[in-house]
Amino acid sequence: MALPIKTQPPSATRQSQFRIWFYHWSQKNIHWFFIAPALIAILVVAIYPIVYSTGLSFFRVSFDSRERPFVLFENFIWILNDKDYWGALGNTLLYVAVTVSGSFVVGFGLALLLRRISVGRNWIRLVLILPLTIAPIVVGLTWNWMFDPLFGLVNWFFIGIGVQPQTWLAQTGTARIVVMLVDIWQWYPLVFLIMDAGLSSLPKAPYESARLEGASDWMIFTRITLPLLRAVILVALLLRTVDAFRTFDLVRVMTDGGPAQTTETLSLYLYRTAFNFNKLSRAGAGATIMLIVISIISNFMFRFLYREQEGR
Amino acid sequence: MKVVLQDLVKKYPASDSIAVNHVDLTIADSELIVFLGPSGCGKTTTMRMIAGLETPDGGKIFIGERDVTYVAPKDRRVAMVFQNFSMYPSMTVYENIAFPLQALKRSKAEIDQLVREAAELVGVSALLKRGVRQVSGGEAQRVSLARAMVRRPEVFLMDEPLSSLDAKLRVQMRTEIKRLHQETRSTMVFVTHDQEEAMTLGDRIVVMSQGKVQQVGTPHEVFFDPYNLFVATFVGTPGMNLFDGVIQQSGDTLCVDLQGYMQPIPERFRATLNAKTPTPVKWGIRPEGIRFVDATDPNSLAGQIEIIESLGSRQLVFVRSGDKLFSVIVDSLHPVRQGENCHLHFDETRIHLFEAQNGRSLTQRG
Amino acid sequence: MQPSLGQRLIAYTIFFILGVLVLVPLAAGVITAFKPRIIWVSSPPTWIFSPTLENFEFVLIQRNNLLHLRNSLIIASGSVTIALILGVPAAYALARFRFRGSKGLLQWLISLRMIPPIVVALPFYILFQTFDLRNTHIGMMMAYLTFLIPLVIWMMRGYFAEIPSAMEECAMVEGYSRLGALRKVVLPVVLPGIIATALLNFMFAWNEYFLALILGGRDTSTLPAAAATYVGRAQVEWGNLFAINLIIMTPVIILTLILRRQLVKGLSLGAVD
Repeated sequence: MALPIKTQPPSATRQSQFRIWFYHWSQKNIHWFFIAPALIAILVVAIYPIVYSTGLSFFRVSFDSRERPFVLFENFIWILNDKDYWGALGNTLLYVAVTVSGSFVVGFGLALLLRRISVGRNWIRLVLILPLTIAPIVVGLTWNWMFDPLFGLVNWFFIGIGVQPQTWLAQTGTARIVVMLVDIWQWYPLVFLIMDAGLSSLPKAPYESARLEGASDWMIFTRITLPLLRAVILVALLLRTVDAFRTFDLVRVMTDGGPAQTTETLSLYLYRTAFNFNKLSRAGAGATIMLIVISIISNFMFRFLYREQEGR
Repeated sequence: MKVVLQDLVKKYPASDSIAVNHVDLTIADSELIVFLGPSGCGKTTTMRMIAGLETPDGGKIFIGERDVTYVAPKDRRVAMVFQNFSMYPSMTVYENIAFPLQALKRSKAEIDQLVREAAELVGVSALLKRGVRQVSGGEAQRVSLARAMVRRPEVFLMDEPLSSLDAKLRVQMRTEIKRLHQETRSTMVFVTHDQEEAMTLGDRIVVMSQGKVQQVGTPHEVFFDPYNLFVATFVGTPGMNLFDGVIQQSGDTLCVDLQGYMQPIPERFRATLNAKTPTPVKWGIRPEGIRFVDATDPNSLAGQIEIIESLGSRQLVFVRSGDKLFSVIVDSLHPVRQGENCHLHFDETRIHLFEAQNGRSLTQRG
Repeated sequence: MQPSLGQRLIAYTIFFILGVLVLVPLAAGVITAFKPRIIWVSSPPTWIFSPTLENFEFVLIQRNNLLHLRNSLIIASGSVTIALILGVPAAYALARFRFRGSKGLLQWLISLRMIPPIVVALPFYILFQTFDLRNTHIGMMMAYLTFLIPLVIWMMRGYFAEIPSAMEECAMVEGYSRLGALRKVVLPVVLPGIIATALLNFMFAWNEYFLALILGGRDTSTLPAAAATYVGRAQVEWGNLFAINLIIMTPVIILTLILRRQLVKGLSLGAVD
């Protein structure tokens, strides 16, 4: 095919060569213009601190000394030999297990239940998500007051049904349970919101055909709803696990780790180590370990999630 | 305005596999040209390069005499209608059509006049105050046509604009676009994977596959004289009958052997067959090129009717002969019955031969 | 299939009980905020009294919580604004452009949301001293950006992915630059998403306690940090405490009520996608 194309006009100078190159370059890299500001900010406010914190854990740092000798793994060894650390880790794992599954069951259950009714759905939704909007610190303080042995509403309720008033938050047996229940009270709305949205995005066709084939409600739930929602469920669990793992606010105002350190979580322990005991670098070592553990958990769940999404 | 694509190359981002592979094409002024091909053949990418939404990795694009290869989309004076987008949801119909004019900083009165003209032309004058939720899919697509026209672009680009509409509306809009083209006489590029759309709309059709242009020609040429096996199989429904065969010399004539029946091959292939026989080829014939004849006809192949499908005014008949299954299209009034024996006659002028190795057509071209 | 009457009755009963469990503690707290000092800790609790604003007056003026309120407002709205300015363009690019490593970058950015705050708090505490950022609002905002930017990117990417890229491409062919197209056609469509994102981020920044506790100085302490100082004393001033609690709760609840539809949509998109 003959092409009536002129050769480069004589004005094609080095300058226009540069313009062509620049146009190409800017088109190919346009995404970086949008991403770069956020990326630079992240480097300053997240990556730099993380690197700094990791580095810190190899030195001996405290508030009362300007000297910062390099001590290699001393901080890590110290923290791994501290039985309070292992106690806090155990508490945290229990806390994660109970509150994540608790908030998941309650949140998912309520989302499913909401499908069964039609009148007043929006108002119920609004009331149900209320705890999520309230600062954990306010939630903790409010429930402190609710559980107060003298004038707390909980005790008055129990007195009403003939149970003696208890010091709920001061007994090793009950403090743990109460704190975890309050955590579930605060965070089930997150699961509820995610699962509610997931349920409303489900396709209708599989349900209709399953009904026609006479499947029971339970079969429809386990064979259709759960598989379709797997990615959504994973997201909900991932968010809850990571948040529960680093819980601080609620425990800090309700029990501050007590009684007898039965409610001391990792975050609380590290805070205490750094600021009450003035062992910044030991806390740094603990934080580094925590970061690694959380990265492994979240990476694992992320992989699961991506595989899930690609499979769809 | 004439559009010239010169040795155009585009790689997929982040993978380096080639989307558009050295495409050369000249689109004449006020021509309606259709890019036809299966999904992923590079037709949309080629169009997006004309619009400036993709920058080529090699080659040049000219609109008129102007080299626009490195010109931003907004300065190319082209208009584009998209497949999965028709109206800006935050604007009314009127504001939608006025939107391209506002970029040109025209006066309010002028904009108003042009918007009303364009709306008139595509028949949405009554809808100007409506929002996106108050118009149907077909009306929204008309609005996008008006928005494309209102700037008087030098080139119209249409990326499967009708594929999201239902069948009836699609045919109606097709006629509409043809009419618009005739009224505006502007250059139009139309991308589709629907061959019926391509056939009815195009002055010329560009058949593409795997990033390469397979054939450029009028609908008639593409249908009756496909350059290669890809075009032959992609164009036409039901598809062309295609078989492996061997060309032999039988007396003075060239023949292809069909289980003993020697089907003559027209003389026009002789020059390209290199005179050396037997030659392995792919030979083919469209279902419309086969007729039923009496058993007495010596130029016929015996077979048995397997399946009959009605196409309305015509019927599609599948005939088995040995290991070959032929599809034949005949008038619905023609009496055929399943299981019946029959004889097929192949119209010599409708026979296609392709090289067995590379699929190129053996028809001699000047 | 319509659930039977019995099923619906059970459902409403459960929702009623849940509603009581959610609303009673909150309502009781709100009421206590208006109780005069002498009946704060009456046992059994008193519910009939003439409401008073003296608790609010006391905490805001005597206890200088006006300053903390001001700090909370400046830090939360400032950090959310910066997070939006930085995060929204990045979310757009990650939703739109496929390039080498785009998927990994997205995953990496989102996973930053999972850093334990103690990991950030310790170095910030030391760096604030080094760079003289102690007691400045800017320093606090920087610390908050650590978790706000990833959250903005996560949520906004979902919104942008929902908009066909043809929308801005069409505007680009029709005579607008990419930025012009974004401003004129994409922004109006994505605005509800930006509002929802802003609200949720504001909520997290406003309610944040851990970083405020560690990093907040005399002039930058926020309301949650101030509220927490009321516990651990021999005599908890419950009326005053609930007055502060109410001040912390009110803006977020009002915003949630106003923007609840955008919020639910935004949250679910970020999560489901």
